[in-house]
Amino acid sequence: MLKYAIITLGAMSVIAATFFATRAMTVSSLTNQSSVFEAFEDVDGTWLYSDKIGAAAASSVERARVAINGPLGLSSKEAVYFVALRDGEGEALKSQCTYRVSGQPIDTRWWSLTLYDAVTQHYVPNPENRSSWNSVSVPRDETGQWQVVVAPTPQDGAWLPSQAAADQSFDLMLRVYNPSAATRAILPKIDLPIVERVSC
Amino acid sequence: MLNRIVVYVLAATVLSAVTYFITRNAVINKAPGLVMSTIEARIVAGSGGWNACFHNQTYGPRTNAARRAKPDSIISSMAYDLSEGPVRIAGETWPRYWSISFYQQNSDNFFVMNDLEMASSAFGFILALDGQDTSAYSGVPIISPTEKGIMLVRRFAADATDMEGIIANQEALTCAPA
Repeated sequence: MLKYAIITLGAMSVIAATFFATRAMTVSSLTNQSSVFEAFEDVDGTWLYSDKIGAAAASSVERARVAINGPLGLSSKEAVYFVALRDGEGEALKSQCTYRVSGQPIDTRWWSLTLYDAVTQHYVPNPENRSSWNSVSVPRDETGQWQVVVAPTPQDGAWLPSQAAADQSFDLMLRVYNPSAATRAILPKIDLPIVERVSC
Repeated sequence: MLNRIVVYVLAATVLSAVTYFITRNAVINKAPGLVMSTIEARIVAGSGGWNACFHNQTYGPRTNAARRAKPDSIISSMAYDLSEGPVRIAGETWPRYWSISFYQQNSDNFFVMNDLEMASSAFGFILALDGQDTSAYSGVPIISPTEKGIMLVRRFAADATDMEGIIANQEALTCAPA
């Protein structure tokens, strides 16, 4: 009798320990910043792309990651999403550096470029209360080219503030709404903005 | 004695592996629904109930927004519950960019339509479950795969000067049981 009680207790201990450890590991893997974009396609070393956001075709893991880290995205029928975690030289984006993000017109209804704190996944508080530029608000030259400067301190022109504290990670998300048929035909190889590190 | 230890270790390993797979799949499969329920509760708290519109009327980033919220996409939302019948959504589109999207309880975006795809700027939709009779109501039927879910209406605001027009557009939006 005692033998069976010990075996049952041992089995329950194994189940409980595995349950709690697995639950913690799984939640951590779904929320860990380095794994959030794991299933995204690397387009050019800087920009990652996914057409599985909000999609029935997404795997269970992709669906869970999107739901936790950026819920209620539009399916690729309506919008496509790119995210940059690195600059053009493949270095992680860091708050103490200044970056020049320059791009050409994108054949789409509108687009927006938004900076998020990579850890909190929220906007970075700043005196101008700005976390994005869009295809209408961004200053452009006569050829439609545009440029945004990402830096922790105010800059001339279109400034996109990163964290004031050094050594913080952030990412840039480019959302392209209602892209034209011509843009869709070449996805994800569209003319994506260049992210150039100016100084650190 | 050694054989018995081997059997116990083997049994514990199998038990642990089975628990691991069951737990992992349960967490992964339940996570989207839990996130949706949390967002629905926030919308319901803001709108005063299920099947009612809730409007963000602030341009720019907000500290209380969802993760990766979009500062230039001004959103009206509705948490819906179709258990007591269809829900009607009606209003006007917004010329800069407007879209209406519906999310089922597993967070999939099962329906989206933008202003360029609409026959006119005035619209009416009837959101229903498969099998619910929508013939008595005016509006384009949309079938939700799940009883509960979320509707979002997005309007593009290029800058803060668009907000006056967007707020008027929001106030013309109605969400209510049909």
